[in-house]
Amino acid sequence: MEFPKALAHCLGSRRVRTLTAICSAVVASCVLIASVGAAPANEYQVKAAFLFNFAKFVEWPANAFSDTTTPFVIGVLGHDPFGPYLDDIVRGERINNRSLTVQRYRHAGEIKQCQVLFISRSESDHIDQIISSLKYRKILVVTDADGGNGGVIIRFVNEGNRIRFKIDVEAAKAANLVISSKLLRLG
Amino acid sequence: MLLRKAPIRRRLMTIILVTCGAVSLLTCLSFFAYEFFTFRQSTIASLSTLGSVLASNSTAALTFANSEDAAEVLSALRAEPHIEAASLYDENGKLFAQYPANLPKDAFPAAPERDGYNFSTEYFTSFQPVVLGPKRVGTLYLKSNLDQMYDRLRLYGAIVAVVMAASFALTYALSRILQGQISQPILALTKTARAVADRGDYSVRAPKIGEAEFAVLTEAFNQMLTRIHDGDSALRESQESLWCLNAELEQRVEERTRKLKEANKELEAFSYSVSHDLRAPLRAIDGFSRILLEEYREKFDEDGKRVLDVIRSNTQNMGRLIDDLLAFSRLSRKQIDASPVDMQGLASDVFQQLQTGFADQNIQFNLSPLPPTEGDPALIRQVFVNLLSNAAKYSRPRIQSVIDVSGHCENGDCVYYVKDNGVGFDMAYAKKLFGVFQRLHSVEEFEGTGVGLAIVQRIIHRHGGRVWAEGKVDEGATFFFSLPKENKQNGSFATAQ
Repeated sequence: MEFPKALAHCLGSRRVRTLTAICSAVVASCVLIASVGAAPANEYQVKAAFLFNFAKFVEWPANAFSDTTTPFVIGVLGHDPFGPYLDDIVRGERINNRSLTVQRYRHAGEIKQCQVLFISRSESDHIDQIISSLKYRKILVVTDADGGNGGVIIRFVNEGNRIRFKIDVEAAKAANLVISSKLLRLG
Repeated sequence: MLLRKAPIRRRLMTIILVTCGAVSLLTCLSFFAYEFFTFRQSTIASLSTLGSVLASNSTAALTFANSEDAAEVLSALRAEPHIEAASLYDENGKLFAQYPANLPKDAFPAAPERDGYNFSTEYFTSFQPVVLGPKRVGTLYLKSNLDQMYDRLRLYGAIVAVVMAASFALTYALSRILQGQISQPILALTKTARAVADRGDYSVRAPKIGEAEFAVLTEAFNQMLTRIHDGDSALRESQESLWCLNAELEQRVEERTRKLKEANKELEAFSYSVSHDLRAPLRAIDGFSRILLEEYREKFDEDGKRVLDVIRSNTQNMGRLIDDLLAFSRLSRKQIDASPVDMQGLASDVFQQLQTGFADQNIQFNLSPLPPTEGDPALIRQVFVNLLSNAAKYSRPRIQSVIDVSGHCENGDCVYYVKDNGVGFDMAYAKKLFGVFQRLHSVEEFEGTGVGLAIVQRIIHRHGGRVWAEGKVDEGATFFFSLPKENKQNGSFATAQ
């Protein structure tokens, strides 16, 4: 804003000042529209939000946590496609009075305590292997990769330009998780 | 108030009807108002519950931006036909889902308003938050028409109308029957009272109806009638006896008057004839004593002549006395010819004539203007002659005699007076002055027969007036006389005759 103001001052004309004011307003609004339009463009920003929101509609058994102060862990296995989004969403939030942390794993062996696990597409080749290693662990397994049927509880699906998801109720039961009927209606 | 003129039956019925009508109207209105507010409360409660359920069901749809699912959640409202519109807004206040789906977008508020409820005349609207855990994820908007409430109120209105009409009819019927309890005794009393007032018939009695106050009232009324009846007949009796007594009395008075008149006439005839008959011997005495003096003068010595003179002067004196007496008694028989009298002229004329008789006396005569009146001019003239000659006579000892004559009229009566500065009189004898032959002085002091003032009194009385005198020894005397004017005079004359 300093520049047109200075320019207007230099020219000293009222009409020019008005013109520059209009111009600057137009430029400002264009920038604003661009930023608003850009928001849903990123698929993983939406998915990160979904990932966090799933936690609100799913109940974990009490023994899924070692004690009451244990943080709620969202894990990402394989290449992290979320960038900063997941950390941004989780920051400062609490679920069932637990703080949230995001953990990233290179392979399934690193997973200790984890409530929500997102399996990246980078792991699609050996997803069945991962699933079987996580069997009977109370983990909400989410992925947008193919495969791993029977173990993946929520799978992201792209419908046109919108992101939807499918819920495998049997897998959820096997993982000893209770999914809210409200969420089930969407899946 | 119009009611005040209406008969008691109508007044009673109107009072009962108005009272009952007002009470039942108030009761119905209270129920109406109570129902209205209760229904509002229950509408709020049910819509709030419904809203909570919908909000809870749509949390996931809002969270995962699934507007189809949200629309489906809202479509459950089909079961509630009074909900005309519903919509969900996301946390940014953007319209997210709507019900019914075919309604244009501008039928919904563009953005959610403050949470709460709002009643308009046709709709009830609410904005409720949609909360997930501690976080608000959107807003639910519900719009319900008030058909249900209006239907209910219409029903209530109809019930109220029917109840009012029925209670009015019942009240009317009951009041028509029951008002008789009060109006009948009053009407019966009124009828009796009217019979008494119109016909003066005190023998009628009011029929006794019921107990308590009305019975007491009727009884008291009847007792009063009995008493009035008794009093009335007693009054009638005494009136009758009084009338008889009166008639008897009148008869007696008439008889007495007739007797009195006869006696009076006899007395007058007697006094007239006595006076008349006295003149003949007197004339003889006078005539013969004159003959004695003229024919036999030289035969009497001086002493004899003196005695003869005394006899003559006394016979002349007695002749005057008889003349006056005759004049006095004639007065009671004389017809009075009433006509206007110029009192001023009369008084002045009389004084002129008298003056010659008192030529040696120094008299100051003050005549104030006298109001004219009506009467017999000859008789009134006699009044002035007597009063003025008296005034001159009794003021003779004064070096300067002063005679004042004045008069004035007031309330139809004219009062005149003749005042002198003479020897006066003692007020103790004021009444005696007007009697026949009543004198306060001896003949030696002041000559006279003692009939003058009696004549004045008789003349004035015959005119219906009054005479009176005021005076003090040695300080003069004032003689007043009043004459009534016009009609009164004539009336008085008639009775005097």
